Parts: sequence; structure tokens; C-alpha cells
Amino acid sequence: MTIPTISQLPTTLAYANNAYLPILLLLLSAILFAVGNVTISKFLGPSRKGKVKDATYESGVNPIGSARKRFNVRFYLIAMVFLVFDIEIIFLFPWAVTFRNLDMTTVDGGVWLGRIFFFIFTTIVAYVYGYRKGVFKFD
Amino acid sequence: MHYVAVSLVLLLIGTAGLLLRRNIVIILMSIELILNAVNLNLVAFARHHGNAAGQVFALFVIAVAVAEAAVGLGILLALYRNRETVQVDEIDLLKW
Amino acid sequence: MTEKLATLWPEIILFTCACVVMLLGLSERLGVRRLCAPVSAAGLLIAGLFAFYKTPVDPAAMLPNLPVFGKVLAAGIGLLILGLLTGIPDRDYEARVAQGRTRFDPKRTIRSEFYAFFLFSITGLMLCAGATNLIWLFLALELTSLPTYVMVALSTQRDKSLEAAVKYFFLGAMAAAVFLFGFVLLYGATGSVELAQIGATLRHQASVEGGINPIALAGLVLGILGLCFKIAAVPMHFYTPDVYQGAASPVAGMLAFVPKAAGFFALMLLLTAPGWGWMQPGGPGGGHGSLPTPIGEILAIIAVASMTLGNVLAIMQTSVKRLLAYSSIAHSGYMLVALLAGPGRPGTLLPENGYSAILFYLLSYGLTSTAAFAVLALLERKGPDGQVHEADDFADIRGLRKKHPALAWVLALSALGLMGFPPLLGFFAKLPLFASGLAGGHLVLVVILGLNSAVAAFYYLRIVSAALLESPDASGHAEGMVQTPFRGRALAGYVGVLAMVAMVVLPLLSAGSFLHVTPASWASFGGTYKDAAPLAIAPRLPSPAKPMGAAPTGEGPMSEDAPARP
Repeated sequence: MTIPTISQLPTTLAYANNAYLPILLLLLSAILFAVGNVTISKFLGPSRKGKVKDATYESGVNPIGSARKRFNVRFYLIAMVFLVFDIEIIFLFPWAVTFRNLDMTTVDGGVWLGRIFFFIFTTIVAYVYGYRKGVFKFD
Repeated sequence: MHYVAVSLVLLLIGTAGLLLRRNIVIILMSIELILNAVNLNLVAFARHHGNAAGQVFALFVIAVAVAEAAVGLGILLALYRNRETVQVDEIDLLKW
Repeated sequence: MTEKLATLWPEIILFTCACVVMLLGLSERLGVRRLCAPVSAAGLLIAGLFAFYKTPVDPAAMLPNLPVFGKVLAAGIGLLILGLLTGIPDRDYEARVAQGRTRFDPKRTIRSEFYAFFLFSITGLMLCAGATNLIWLFLALELTSLPTYVMVALSTQRDKSLEAAVKYFFLGAMAAAVFLFGFVLLYGATGSVELAQIGATLRHQASVEGGINPIALAGLVLGILGLCFKIAAVPMHFYTPDVYQGAASPVAGMLAFVPKAAGFFALMLLLTAPGWGWMQPGGPGGGHGSLPTPIGEILAIIAVASMTLGNVLAIMQTSVKRLLAYSSIAHSGYMLVALLAGPGRPGTLLPENGYSAILFYLLSYGLTSTAAFAVLALLERKGPDGQVHEADDFADIRGLRKKHPALAWVLALSALGLMGFPPLLGFFAKLPLFASGLAGGHLVLVVILGLNSAVAAFYYLRIVSAALLESPDASGHAEGMVQTPFRGRALAGYVGVLAMVAMVVLPLLSAGSFLHVTPASWASFGGTYKDAAPLAIAPRLPSPAKPMGAAPTGEGPMSEDAPARP
């Protein structure tokens, strides 16, 4: 099977009717299977209540503490650092896509390259700053 | 123009959340929701006008939203450590 | 693309400087850490000089002279505010490190963030002045305000400043979302993010359809409402007193100027796009210069409400910081009158050009309010609980002249300057507001502006009398006041007041050419203005001067506060 290009993708509902019908059926049967099984076992299976039976299942070990435990605040820092470097990518990506169209021998091309270097320079500053602040230190 | 309708609905939900909820984290989420409404609008308009300016704008809005979330959560974290609360009506040291 | 970069050198310098400062402040050696403030000052100075001498003026830009003036203003007042900010970060921490009670840990210091964020904020302000499209404007506004949220939170170690930061951040983020939505609607209505292009499309649409596009109108209204937060005007003013009081005085002094200036730059750019040539029924062309009707009305309501509310509430305050906050709301109202009047027809000069009036007023307001906050930042007392209190209440400054005569005079002069007392700069800054309002035909607004100035005199004179005439009251707060040991703050106060006084003496007239901000291409837009009656009281200005590109010769008022480094 070849991957259709964008213009070949179905755009009208009429076409979608035929093409997506199997998927719809699959979806329905999946839902039915899941919901049905749970319902049937509720009715047919035996149901015993008790202290041990109602306890949280933790792979057979006795559960310790509450599940709503606070995380160390260090994870917040890591999340932030991740976000920063993650968002850098959305600027690098369009630049990389259009980069091929630039003529590096002209002034404009050089300026474009310089700009992205400046951008990366700021990332490096952020990295060094984070490093000095001890964001990447785990002790 | 369904997109614009959806984005308006998102805007309204966001504004309602902003004005009615007491939990600051939910208020932050409402603001993010408004920004997403903006993004949807931008992309829809970009498609409508057939130019890429809107999409570029959306990229920048995403980045700013992240920065805003980082700053907001940082301030919130500091507040929580000091006051042990994230409820708006318990933040009442400053009053006119 | 390359020529656009050439206008951005001041910002690039400042940004790089901020990066350097960010790393310097984390050094193990105290000497290197101490370099933060001087390096920031050097960066601001270089950026300001660069903006002054080297910024090319693009005569085809929408407001050709705004970037130059805006950047020099940002750098000049930025230097003063930097002086004000010295001593905030790490004051207790460095003392503990110096006593050997703790080892220096980069995690605990906030020095580098504090200065770097300040520089980022000023960079945003400069970018704001040079914006040509909506994306740029939005990013510049965010760059201006995001660091300020953090600075408010970091400014003191108390709960109050955190709470102020929470309020400021959430209202600020909401306002940002609002004006962003407005920008997006503008883009949706016109299909362009370039401000000049938006203006052209709007006028074209209006000439075809006979009115401003409703989506664009909604966009402009949302944009104005969101920007009201930045300038602290009425529907978005609630945060102002709380945040000013919760933040440390120096940061409050920064908040009084930096976001306000950014907001006004943005408002000018945003409103220049539709322009002033809208007549009520017929769209562009002919008639009195006015904004599209609903926008003009909304702005007028905002202006009146800001002036009145700010002044009336300021009277009732017992805290000087809150008073200054409310007066900052009122000052925004004053400037909105000039904004409403608009820049006039091409070639209109300072007294009647509303834009020039705003810029001049921003300069005067920046100097005077920085000086006023500098005095508050310079005074502190130890409370009975051992905590250090900044000067805040009237009780703290009552009879200030007994112990700190120089500070008392600085405070009194800056209060008089804010009031617009005749021989001071504030007076010469306020006159163009009146003149431009009259030239724009907003007689009612000008009358309200005059009445409000009279009301404002009441509380400003209260400050003056408390500082100079009265004697300390029984609370003993005023006696306990000692001067903080930060020379930067004192310098900011003295230089601010001296510049304010000196600028009246020095050739104010050359400001006319420097402040000459008119849209470049308005001839085609028929922005014909009603001829205003010549004002005898208006300061006389030289005839339309040479283009701004040729650097003004030497001794402009701006070059005189630029070297004011802490």
C-alpha cells in the first residue's frame, strides 16, 4: 500500500462513508467488547467484600502510604528545563525546513545562519545557567 | 468558519474559568485555554487568508505560553511554600 | 531582512549583556558577582548611545522617529531605575556569606536573575518602540512584562511581594491573552500582521463598505483593553496599588515606568494603523481627525475614568506607595487624552502633536516617579519585631527634613514635578497634553484633565508638606528612618530630580525635533485637522526640523540624562 499524498486524502463525507466504515465498526466492536466483558463479569462473577479484598492492589505487597504523595520539587525544575529545550525545537524546525532554500554565499544567507547561531547561543547560555544553578545535579 | 466558533467557545470557557474558579492552578489552565483558542483562530485565519503569517504567529504564541506557564508555576510554587494554599480567596494580605 | 537587523543593534547589545550578567552573578568570587550592576549599566549606556547615534531612521516606517526616541528613553530612564534597583538582590544572603555563616551556593542567589531580568525587560521595551508588526509587538510586550512578574516575586523576602506577584502575574497573563485575541482578530480581519498593511487594508475596506470592519473593530477594542493593563488604566487597574505596595519600592518604581511606556508605545502603534481620519458616517477622508467612533468613545471613557478614579482614590490613601500607584493610574488617564488627540496632520509639532506630547510626558514622568520611588527606597527603619521596613506610610516621611533634608527636598520636588508645578519639567510636559487635546477638539476631556490636575495638587501637596513642613508624629516612625547604604539609589534620586530641573533650563526647544513623531505616509489619508486656536502659553518650538536620522547635535535633553549611571 502506498501512502497517499495530501491531495489524495478523502475530503468529502461521501467518500469518508465508504473508507472509514471498517474503522467505525472496529471502534464499535472494541467498545462493545470492553464494556460487555466488564458488565457480564459484574453480573456472573462472584463478589465478596472484605477489608483485604477492598484494599489497593499493589502487586501483592501491602500498600504503603497514600497514592497522592507529593513529588520532590526537583522534578519541577527538570520539567521546566525540559520545556525550555523542547520549545527551542519548534523554532529550529521551521528554520531547518527552509534552510535548504537559502543561498549561503549571499549576505542574506549569512545573516540567517548568524541568527540561528545567536538563537543557539542563547540556549547555551540557558544551559550554562542551569548547570551553575545545579539543575542537573542529583544528590 | 467553524474553527472560529470553536475558538470562541474555548475563549468563553477560559474566561469563565478565569473569573469563577478559586483554585489558582485552574486559573492558570484557563489562561492556557484562552491561548489555545487564540492559536486555533490563528491557524484558521491563516488558512482562510492563505498566508503563513498566522501559523508563524501561532508558533510564537505557543512559546510565550510555555514561558508564561513556567513563570506562573514558579511563582505559584513559591506561594504554596509560603502560604500552604492555592485558593484565591485565601490570598488576602494586600487589600485596599 | 538585513536592514531590519540594523535597527536592532541596541536590543542585541542589551540582550547579550543580559546573558553575560546572568552568568556573572553565579560566580564563586564576590568581586565577579559584584560586576553585575556595573556591567548592566555599561550595557544600557552603550545601547543608549548606539540608539542615539546609530539607529537608522526608515522614513517609510509608520512612525519613523518613535524607535529612536523610545530606545534612548528606555536606556536613559533604565539607567536611573538600575541605580534604584541596586542593593535589592541578595542583601541578607551576601551579608551571611560575608560573615562566614554560610558558603556561597549559586542555587540560593538571585542577583544574576534580578539584573538579567531587568535588562530583558528593558530590551522588550526597546523592541516595543521599534515594532512594525503584530507578532513583534506581542513578543516585545511579553518580553517586557514576563521578567517583571519574577522581579516582583523576588523583590523582598516577605509574603506580601509573593502575593503581589501572584496578582500581577495572573491579571497580566489575562490581559496578555485579551490583547493577543485582539491582535488575532485584527489579523483575521485584514489578513496581514504588518501594521502598515493592516492600516491600508482597513482604510480600503472602509472606503468600499463605508465603515470600519467590525471584526477589526472588535480586535482593536480588545487590544486597547488588554493594553490598559500595561499602562494601568481603568478597567485593568485593580492590581496597581496592591502590586506597588507589595513589591519593594525600587521594583515599584520600575513598574511605574517600564510597562507603562511599553503599553503606550504599543497603543500608539496599534492606533496609528487605523489612523485618525475617520469621520463618523463616511469613513476615511475629510472631516475632523478622529479615531473610528467606538474606539474614540471607549478611549475617552477610559481616559476620564482613569483620571478621576486614580485621583479620587489617591486622596484617600495613607500609604505613599499606594498613593503613587493611584497617581500612576491618573497619569495614564492624562496621557490617554493626548493619545486620543493623535499626532495631528503631518508636520504637527510638539504642543499640538499628541504623540510627541505622550513621549515627552513619559520622559518627565519616568524621571520624576523614579526620583520619588528612590526616596522611598532610600529610607528604612527597624521595626519592633526586628524586621526592616521600607518607608511606606505618611508617618514614615512626616518631618523628613529634620533628619534627611536632601531626601526631603528630592521627594518634595518630585511630588511637585508629578503635580506639574509651573517651573518644573512636569509643567512643561503637561502643557502639550492640554494643547494637543484642544487641537484635537476634545474640549470636554481637556476640561476634565484640568480639574483632575487641580484635585491631584491636593495629595501631592500633602506629600510636600509632610516632607518639608510638618514635624514627626508620635509614632516615632520618622525618627527611626535611616538611609540605606546604596549609593545607586541616592544617585538615581538626585540625578532624576536634577535632570527634571535642568531640562527646563537647558534648551527644551530642541526636544521639538527629537520628539517629532508623525506617521510618515499620511498625506494620502486626508487627515485634515481642524485648525486649533494658537496657544499663547504653549512653549515655542523651532520650525519642523531636519530628519531625525542625522543625529541631533550634542546637547539634547536626552544626552544629558544618559550618562547618569549609578
